[in-house]
Amino acid sequence: MKKLLSMILVAVMVLALGGYALADDPVEITFWSMWNEGEPQATVIAEAAEAYEAETGVRVNIEWRGRDLNTQIQAALDAEDAVDIFEDDYNRISNTYDKEKILDLTEMAEAAGYADHSYAVLNDQVVSWVGYLNSIVEQPQVGGIFYNRDAFEAAGIEELPTTWAELLDVCAKLKDADIAPFAQDSAYTNFTFYYHLVRYLGEDGIAELRDNGGWADNEKAVQAAQDIIDLIDKGYLVDGAPDEYPASQNKVGTGEAAMVVCANYVTAEVDNVFGPQNWGLINYPAMEGGASPDSCYVGANSLAITSYSEHPQEAFDFIMFLVTEDYDQKMADTAGQIPADPHNTCDYLPTAVDTLKNTTAPMGWCTSLNTHPAWGDMKTLFTELFEGKYETGADFCAAMDALY
Amino acid sequence: MKKNKTLIFMFMAPAVITLLLMYVYPVLRTVAMSFFHVESVTAGLDDWSFNGLANYFKIMHNASFVTSMKNFLAIWIVGGVITLALSLLIAVILTSGIRFQGFFRAAIYLPNVISAVALATMWVQYIFNYDYGLLNQLVTALGFDKIRWLGTDAKLWAMIAAFIYGSIGYYMLIYISGIEGIPQDLYEAATIDGAKKTTQFFRITLPLLKGIIKTTITFWTINAATFYLWSKLFSPVQTEGSTIVPVVYLYDTVFGGKGVVTTDAGAGAAVGVVLTIIIIIVYVLTDKLLKSNDLEY
Repeated sequence: MKKLLSMILVAVMVLALGGYALADDPVEITFWSMWNEGEPQATVIAEAAEAYEAETGVRVNIEWRGRDLNTQIQAALDAEDAVDIFEDDYNRISNTYDKEKILDLTEMAEAAGYADHSYAVLNDQVVSWVGYLNSIVEQPQVGGIFYNRDAFEAAGIEELPTTWAELLDVCAKLKDADIAPFAQDSAYTNFTFYYHLVRYLGEDGIAELRDNGGWADNEKAVQAAQDIIDLIDKGYLVDGAPDEYPASQNKVGTGEAAMVVCANYVTAEVDNVFGPQNWGLINYPAMEGGASPDSCYVGANSLAITSYSEHPQEAFDFIMFLVTEDYDQKMADTAGQIPADPHNTCDYLPTAVDTLKNTTAPMGWCTSLNTHPAWGDMKTLFTELFEGKYETGADFCAAMDALY
Repeated sequence: MKKNKTLIFMFMAPAVITLLLMYVYPVLRTVAMSFFHVESVTAGLDDWSFNGLANYFKIMHNASFVTSMKNFLAIWIVGGVITLALSLLIAVILTSGIRFQGFFRAAIYLPNVISAVALATMWVQYIFNYDYGLLNQLVTALGFDKIRWLGTDAKLWAMIAAFIYGSIGYYMLIYISGIEGIPQDLYEAATIDGAKKTTQFFRITLPLLKGIIKTTITFWTINAATFYLWSKLFSPVQTEGSTIVPVVYLYDTVFGGKGVVTTDAGAGAAVGVVLTIIIIIVYVLTDKLLKSNDLEY
């Protein structure tokens, strides 16, 4: 009897081990996320991973790496760490990390009809940097003048400004209605002034100033600085501006200010503190005799696949599952972001999707200036400009030239 | 007893190997990297190209690095003098037998217990706030206009003030332990001889604290040279010229900044080497200038 029992047990063990060895291992992909567990974006990603596993059997192992992920990616790529998907700024994915270690997604994207589920301006930008598509947009960004519609309505403003002169009229009406036209935090003075300068000189014109100096001799640069000084003199900046982030932008939420120049995340940041605001977006207005007013700041957090991933197709399919249709809409709604799929809607900023769809001239984050060795000191001068430290635009430009 | 050299070696080996791998190797690699053009910290040696002192010339001619060094000097000298002088003064007062000294010690040390992130946020978002900050409430109550405490002119000094507040307690404790180590009979003898408290401080306390002062100067130099968190918290969105310090410059150089996609690990390594040399120079100078072993007690 004992012998029989032993034989049965041995047989069971052998069958179990053999069965385990023969069974197909479930596919598992590893995803390094820049979010922290518990953040709205992380919650949506985790839900999407769970749903994707239920639908396909592919397990997505998510590692929440936080905002410092960008300091770990190159090391991980060099060591060929076990990561299939990683998340970062699309500019860094294209221009900072080893291109050889990031997968060309062109063919998979074509097969999936990705062009129909994305913004051409962002894809074209990546192709212009790398020569092919190496990342899929997860959270697109757009910049411009974000305004509170209620404040505009209270001031009786019906037409949105398209030129600087019209914007000044809007400012005057807002001031008459006891609403400060602009909020401005010191952290973003460089972005605001850069945007203003782009409208006069274009990014190529600014790059020329960066390389050769001559700010004081450039009438348009002088006029751009003078515009800001005039804005301050007319009292069009909210009290305390330029203030310490996020004190000034929060004044759009309190109703003290009506507009702020930034990227769309400013709206989510203000909404998180004061509840949903009635946001609108104005493309930065045109300057008389200036450059084309078509350019618009665009950016994105995107997803890339390592070139050594053992499951690139599964990784790509999960990315598409996350950035299109239901989960993309959920991401937009939950995290207050612009949907990555233009078929979805952006309830808190209805014009954002169309703005991104129609933009053909992307502008970077101070791209034409931020490689200058004195960029740090330039940013200080921009804040000083908004602090009203310069009597004239020429004084400001002379200070800029002194940095060369 | 006969020494068993093999056994000694085996006991020491884990510590020595760990030290070599975790400390000596990264230091040597960083020093070597500072003489090469290397884009990424983890780039293989094949991707290194020798460029002599070019990284050092590059950072020395970079306006942001120069600004960061100026800010470092302000933190080190101004912040150091105020912090060390105030913490010594408080330590002397709290060891003089005043009432509630236990409470005062705990209260002054308290900021060291609180996370620096919370502390800096309190200073930035409340004390220095333009609209409702504590300082501007005081200023307006006195009938003056509000002050932009975090404006470009004042931000560095505001950051140093907040950092001093967070540091005094730590140095105070070090000084207190030093003062309490001085024999009381020296003070009693001085009192019998008619020496005033100030005379006792300058003739007894200060000379016998030379070793402690040397230590605190070295600690402060290391703190100032590796100053990072407070700078980041006073410029949370992107690095600003008014608060940039060498380690933040190093970080931005190695990993890029907001909108900046270029990286240069070689130049970052050069910054690290320069900072290390500064700390060594300060240590050697204080060691030479403050002889702590010329008095015995």
